[in-house]
Formats: sequence, structure tokens, C-alpha cells
Amino acid sequence: MNEHSRILEREKLDIAETLRDADLRLPAVAPREPFPIEPLTPDARQQTRAVGQRATRPDGRLHGLGQTKYIDDLSFPGMLYARIKRAGIACARIKRIDTSAAEAMPGVMAVLTGKEIPTNTFGPTFQDQPVLVDDHVFHAGDGVAAVAAVTEQIANEALDKIVVEYEPLPAVLDPVAAMREDSPKVHAPDSNIYATKVIRKGDVEKGFAASDHIFEGHFSTQMIEHVSLEPHAAIADWDANGRLTIYATIGRITLARADMARTLKMPMSRIRIVGTIVGGNFGGKNEITQEPALALLSKKTGRPVKGVYTRGEEFTSTTTRHPIIMDYKTGVAKNGRIVARQIRLVLDGGAYCSWSATTLGKACILSPGPYKIDNVLAEAFVVYTNKTMTGAMRGFGAPQVCFAYESHMDDIAKALKMDPLEIRLLNAFDESSPSPTGQVLHSVVVKETLRKAADRFGWEPRS
Amino acid sequence: MKQRGRGIACMWYPIGFTVDANPSAATVKVNEDGTATVLTGTVETGQGSLTVLGQIAAEALGIATDDVHVVSADTDSTPMDTGAIASRTTYVTGNAIWLAAEAAKAILFETAAPMLGVKVSQLEAKDRKIQVKNYPQRNVSIGQVAHRSQVILGQPAIGSASWNPPTVAMDPETGQGKPFATYVYATQIAEVDVDDETGEVEILRIAAAHDCGTAINPMLVEGQVEGGISMGVGMALQEEMLFDANGRHINPNLTNYIMPTSLDMPEITVDIVQGFDPTGPFGAKGVGEPTAVPTAAAVLNAIHDAVGVRVTSLPATAEKVLAAIKAKRATEQKQIPA
Repeated sequence: MNEHSRILEREKLDIAETLRDADLRLPAVAPREPFPIEPLTPDARQQTRAVGQRATRPDGRLHGLGQTKYIDDLSFPGMLYARIKRAGIACARIKRIDTSAAEAMPGVMAVLTGKEIPTNTFGPTFQDQPVLVDDHVFHAGDGVAAVAAVTEQIANEALDKIVVEYEPLPAVLDPVAAMREDSPKVHAPDSNIYATKVIRKGDVEKGFAASDHIFEGHFSTQMIEHVSLEPHAAIADWDANGRLTIYATIGRITLARADMARTLKMPMSRIRIVGTIVGGNFGGKNEITQEPALALLSKKTGRPVKGVYTRGEEFTSTTTRHPIIMDYKTGVAKNGRIVARQIRLVLDGGAYCSWSATTLGKACILSPGPYKIDNVLAEAFVVYTNKTMTGAMRGFGAPQVCFAYESHMDDIAKALKMDPLEIRLLNAFDESSPSPTGQVLHSVVVKETLRKAADRFGWEPRS
Repeated sequence: MKQRGRGIACMWYPIGFTVDANPSAATVKVNEDGTATVLTGTVETGQGSLTVLGQIAAEALGIATDDVHVVSADTDSTPMDTGAIASRTTYVTGNAIWLAAEAAKAILFETAAPMLGVKVSQLEAKDRKIQVKNYPQRNVSIGQVAHRSQVILGQPAIGSASWNPPTVAMDPETGQGKPFATYVYATQIAEVDVDDETGEVEILRIAAAHDCGTAINPMLVEGQVEGGISMGVGMALQEEMLFDANGRHINPNLTNYIMPTSLDMPEITVDIVQGFDPTGPFGAKGVGEPTAVPTAAAVLNAIHDAVGVRVTSLPATAEKVLAAIKAKRATEQKQIPA
């Protein structure tokens, strides 16, 4: 057989001739006799066309069998365990940090403080967040020092040996009070209001004057944590060539590499971020957290370092959903058509910006609701407080403003003795309706969703 | 006594970043047997995005979901991606993968055209074959074409592309502009029982109708909706981080931070409303975040319908609902009947 005919022979290779998925899988427990395993939906993954198919997930089987390897399931030879000492005080100046007793403990390989971090600030919008605080604590969940030890238990014990002397300062906790000029400043000397957004369309005052009824509503929402099943976790491995590999539960590896390069003053080509299987994100894993500290602990010790947050740290030291204080005023015609709407939003931004500017913008743009309103004025402010930082969470402010505009809508419907479905169908966007920012909307199906849900629910108007 | 009520809430939600660039890049490689590998810098965070992205590549290449393997989330080896945020993966990363698959397919078509004796413009990829449009009897398997391209002609079928949603900056004074390329819409209707002696709210059922453009994988859309509703239930009734007067979080644990379990979940029906967005991959938009948006609003409207009280601060805990019911009774009792 010459070379040419060998190629022609191989040319016949075809997907149809290779073994299919079910034949290639291993059973969950090796059976005494081999048996074929039938996938849940045998055909969906084999269909052409692929789009529109109820295809099963290739990772679903591993999740179901408990074979998925999350960060806490991974380990490397010589790997150390890191823990971070948390401030536990909302606002303070640090007078002294003494790590000597911790460093002297057998099994403790390195201790790290904020002063050792080349650029000790990061953040997706404003770089206002330290990896570990230097001399000022901005909220109780701030990290003040990190420890790497041969076991997690020793690392935990070492945290207790670190002595930190604080000079407590008055904490700013109420976002509305924080807006006043005489309020103490979270990040002095800057104003506590760190971002604003305005949407102005038509003329609300004229709109209110032309309305038959004016309604007002005041609403507020709470601070919520994502509560992913898997906490924030990462392994840092600084190798002898000065190349850093980070395995992390991060939904945005491109941004993570840029933030690592910035905080560590390293060229990007020397940093590799591997996004592992993430056990829940919901916006909470969109930025780096402990990774620069783990990297520097790995550099100090020459060994891989793993850090896994406790459930407590998930609450106190990662981002959360913004509490929003929302004031609505709406002018309505006799027939239920909304003529004008004015909105004021105050977002509690917590100690650092994180994704607050984005949340502010989306909340403000979406706050009038999916309705045709000619006169809109929406103003939004996000404010620093000495509380757990707020950031990205599923909906970026939309669930909060939806609660407000839809509660307000039902109050208007009740006052006008209209059916809640009817008043929504009367005001909802159509194809090509202009949005509050003047955008001509396309693929608009809000009325279809209203009718479909009403139909499914069995919604009947009440007399 | 338990009082029953119903509440409706609709919403709109954008796909992608507010004005700012949020591009995705992707590479699609067709193997010599006609299977394919996709390289993407996004991360699977539990939502099933890699399955959906594989389906998009498969559709463009005319092969099956099972024929595509998606490699993701390594800054050393995968192209840049803005990541799993802003409900953007299906729409933005999906568009990049679709364009990359089209580029790889163009190489296959160039190889197949002389094999089938027609022009490239006459070809389509379907059912694991490259065939002549409207004359499918003339075809050649995609494996044969891919093998010939790479091994005989030395032209491996590989394509790379990037995509970024088109936006227009917002005016700083008026906010006028086009901050997002597209939006999705949804309505949820909740039915609740409110115990007017204890204030306890039980959510009985939720009818959810969601738009996501084309549902690339309806099963995963349903999963997103059910998951989003569970977060909405927690926001409506239970979840709240509480701080003491010194700014210390007092319930940083799952004993005192109450969130819904499967036992708190209502019966959910999911309807995917037919839609098609010409700017998305095969008409798709997105679905991740919006599923959590209208739930709390619908539940609170249902509470209002059941017992006539408007709870204006979340969560509507039993204590808060009962206090509102008592306050309402107190005002009612003051009215002396004529």
C-alpha cells in the first residue's frame, strides 16, 4: 500500500463510523457484566438540527454521580492552605499589626499583609478596593492579613495569634444620611455619592399637570447574598520560572487576568487563569477576591497555595445585592394611560464600588418599567457605606425596581378600578416603541408574555 | 384564616453591558472526521452555557450537539471573552462562535465545491453532510470534506471571529442613547395563601412566561426560569442580611440567614414565548438574569390581593405582613359605621 492509497483509505473516516457517546461512557460503578447505559434523552444530542433540541449537558452526568472536581477536590504536592484574618470592625484606623507570634508557629509557612502587595487596589469600575487593607478598615469583612500553613487548622490557629490594634472611627451605615455633605466620608475626602445616573425624556412637570391622577409610592429592598453552593475558592501556583497559574471559581477570566497583572505588577503573559467548574455564580464571582494574596503567599513559600472561603466569609467579605430606596411618582390619565413618571433611587453601595456603577445604570434605565411613557425623569445615586460591599447579582438592580414599579402599578390599577392585567396591556411596549432612553425597541413581546402567563394561570377579570 | 390572592408582574431586561464594549472571541476547529472543537474564554458557571454554545456551533456546521466539544476558560489557550455576566453568553459569545463556525465552514465549502461540481454559493451544511441546496441527493459527508481539506489540500477547516453588541453612548445630561443591543421580556403570575393570624405567606404556584428569542435549548431555559424563581422567592419572603448598630453583619450563616429550600418552592409552569431576534445567533437573546426579576413583585402583589395590605419593604416576612394586617384592622376599626 503506498502513501497515497493510505490517505484515501483514511478519507473514508466519518462521524457516522465512530462510536457514539453512550458507547464511550463509563458506568457509575463498574458492573460485573458490562451493560450499556442509556442516556436520559437518547436522541437530543444526536439531532441535526442542533438548535431547539433539549440536549442534555455533558457535565450533568458527572454532577449527578458526584464526580465533578471542584477546587476543594483538587490538591497539588506540597500544597499549603491559606486563611485570611478579617477585621470584624466596620470602620477603623489600624495602629499596629503584629504577625510575629503567628509566623513563629510550627507549620505556618508565610504571613502576608497589605503593605506587601505591589498595587493594593482593584475593582472593575473604580479601583477602590484593597486586597488586604493597609492602614484603614472600610468594612467588617475586610482582610487584614493572610496566612499560609501546612494544614487549614494551623492556618486558622495562626489567625488568632495575629494581633491588630484598631482606633475605631464612626461608621457610616445609613445611605441616605451618607449623602449629606456633613456626613463622615467612607473614602475621605471624596463624597460618599460615587456615581449618579439621570434619564430625562419629555417634561415630567408638564406631564403631571396634564394628568388626571397623581400617585406616589415609596419602596425599599434588602441586602441579599448570592449563597452559591460552592464558596469562593482558588489555588495559586507560582513556579520557579516566575510564571503564575491560578485555578479559580471566576466567571470572568479575562478580567481576572487583567486585575492580577495590575495588583501584582506582572506582564499578562506570565499569568494563566484557569476557570474551574463553578458551583454557582449569580454575579458573585465576577471579580478577583483572595487571588493576589494567594499568589504572593505561593511566591513567598515556593509552594502551591489553596484558599477556600468559609460560609461566613461568603456573607461578610464578598459582594451582595444592593438595598435600594425607591420613590415613585406617576401621573395617569382617566383611562389608565401613564402620562409621566418620576423616580428617585438611592443604592446602598457598601464599602467598595465593585459593579455598583453598572447596577446603578441598569436600575435607572429599567426603573420606569416596560411601559410607553412620554415623560420620564429618573435619578439614581449610589452611596458608600461601611457595610459589606454590594455588586453584581442576578438582575443588576432590576428585581428591586421591578418590585417597585409593579407594586406601584397595582396600586394605580386598584385606585382606578382597573384589572391589573388590563392596565399593563394598555401601557406595555409594542414593537418599535421608544424606550426611556429613546432607543427604538425591536423583538418586543412583553404583551405576548402577559397574555401567555395569564392564559396559563387562568387569570379572569373580577367585576 | 388563610386568604388566597393572585399577583402579576411583568418586566424588561437588557442583554450585555450598558454601552461599554463587552466582546467575545471564539475559535472553531473542524476535525478530520467532521466533529468539531470550540475554544471559548467564557466559563461554565452552572447554567449550561457550554451546551448551548456547542449547539450553536453544531447548528452552523450542520452537525449534532454530540459532535462538538467545547473547551473553555483558560487564558493561555482560549480566546478572550468578557465572561459569564450580564446574561450575555448566548447572545454575544454565541454570535462569536456562530461567526467562527461560518469561517470554518467556508473552508469546507471551498473544498467541497469541486467535489460536487457546483459553486460554493450553492452549498449548505446539513445532517453531517455538505450538500447542494435544493438537490440534497448530491452530497458528501462533512468528515470526508474535512479530511480532504486538511490532509490532501493542506487547508485545515478552522475559523476565528469576534463580536461585540452595537450600542450608542448615553448623553450625560439626559441619558438618551442606545445602551443595549437588545432586551428580553417576561411575565410571572403568583398565587399565594396568606395566614391572616400569623402573617405567614405560602406561594402555591407561579405561571412564568419568558421571552429569550429563539430557545437554543428549551430544557436549559426552563431550568434557568425555575432557578431564577427560587431566588425571587427568597427575595420576596425570607432573605435579608442584617447589621448591628456598629455595622457588623449579625446573620452570616445559613441558620439565621433564611433562604428557600425545595420545600418552599411553588409549583412552576414555564412557557417560552415565541420570539426571534435577528441580531442574535439563530434568533436567540438570553435568559439568565431576567428569570429572577419579576418573582418578588408578583408575590407581593398577590399578598396585597389576598389581605389588602401593601408591604413596601422586602422581604415580606411573616412579622411584617402580620404587622401590616394589624395596622390595617386598627384603621378600619376607627371608622364608625354610619
